[in-house]
Amino acid sequence: MTSKKTVRIILWIFLIGLIAAFASIYYVFNMPRRNLSKEKAVYTLDAKQLIAEFKKDETSATAKYLDKAIEVSGEIKSIRTLDNHSLVFSLEDEMEGVSCTVDSADVVRNSTELKQFIKGTIGSFKGRCTGMLMDIQVINCVPE
Amino acid sequence: MKKLILCLAFGLIALYSGAQNRFFTKDAKINFNSSTPLEDIVAESNQATTFMDIEKNEVVFSVLTTSFKFRRALMEEHFNENYMESAKFPKAKFSGKIVSPVDWKSERPVIVDVKGQLTMHGVTKEVTLKAQITPGKMKISASAELKVTPEDFSISIPSAVRDKIAKEVTIKIDATYAPYQQ
Repeated sequence: MTSKKTVRIILWIFLIGLIAAFASIYYVFNMPRRNLSKEKAVYTLDAKQLIAEFKKDETSATAKYLDKAIEVSGEIKSIRTLDNHSLVFSLEDEMEGVSCTVDSADVVRNSTELKQFIKGTIGSFKGRCTGMLMDIQVINCVPE
Repeated sequence: MKKLILCLAFGLIALYSGAQNRFFTKDAKINFNSSTPLEDIVAESNQATTFMDIEKNEVVFSVLTTSFKFRRALMEEHFNENYMESAKFPKAKFSGKIVSPVDWKSERPVIVDVKGQLTMHGVTKEVTLKAQITPGKMKISASAELKVTPEDFSISIPSAVRDKIAKEVTIKIDATYAPYQQ
């Protein structure tokens, strides 16, 4: 009688373990994307300062900012719409400034805030820094 | 009045003779596909910067590896952390020369050979690829496709997942260039 009970308990534990294992695998596999609007910026700074840091020493600036959530603000020099309806705001300089890309879904979600971001005004964005090509790129941006 | 017209005319001539020979875009599309029947692996970046010099027939592409988007966040993580090591090698670059003749004045699409060096994951390899270019005065479109083997760029893929990733990765490039003003 007791041995039957033990077997049953072991079976239950095994089953629960199995479910937990599958659930965690499922979770990791379908891991949610980073949501920048819920993340706190690691660095909050002026676009000019960010540009200066990258121009001075790209390698160390890349190491410092790569993949980090940053909040950057500066004068909007141009606004471009990409084929996939994302918006790119160039801060401080069109060619060698900071390019903040707002994904199309976030454009829709933040349309009222983004309407105020017109050429010549100061824009502030929180996003993920991916490094520098000619410009410093910040992607998955949300207006701040 | 005459002077003004003359001035204008000269101005126009000056503008025209300073005809554009450098074109660029910061929004070139690069996507790659390494799907196998076991797993769909596609990624895209809309943020490649590229220059084309139609006088020297040169073309340069660069892209930040962390700007590639995958279907799953987990794939993105593996791509950046395990395969491309984006923290160590944040950029991929191609610089090459269009070796076939192109009539930049026509606006008809041509297929050309492009020869150059592809650098990624810290390794530089000589590659030749076919591209389609549609010249234009204010706009040049270009698209290209090439195949690369991850192992050629010392990207090691664990044997446990090797079968899920294609032996050859197909990279597609799509760019619309505008004149570059300095």
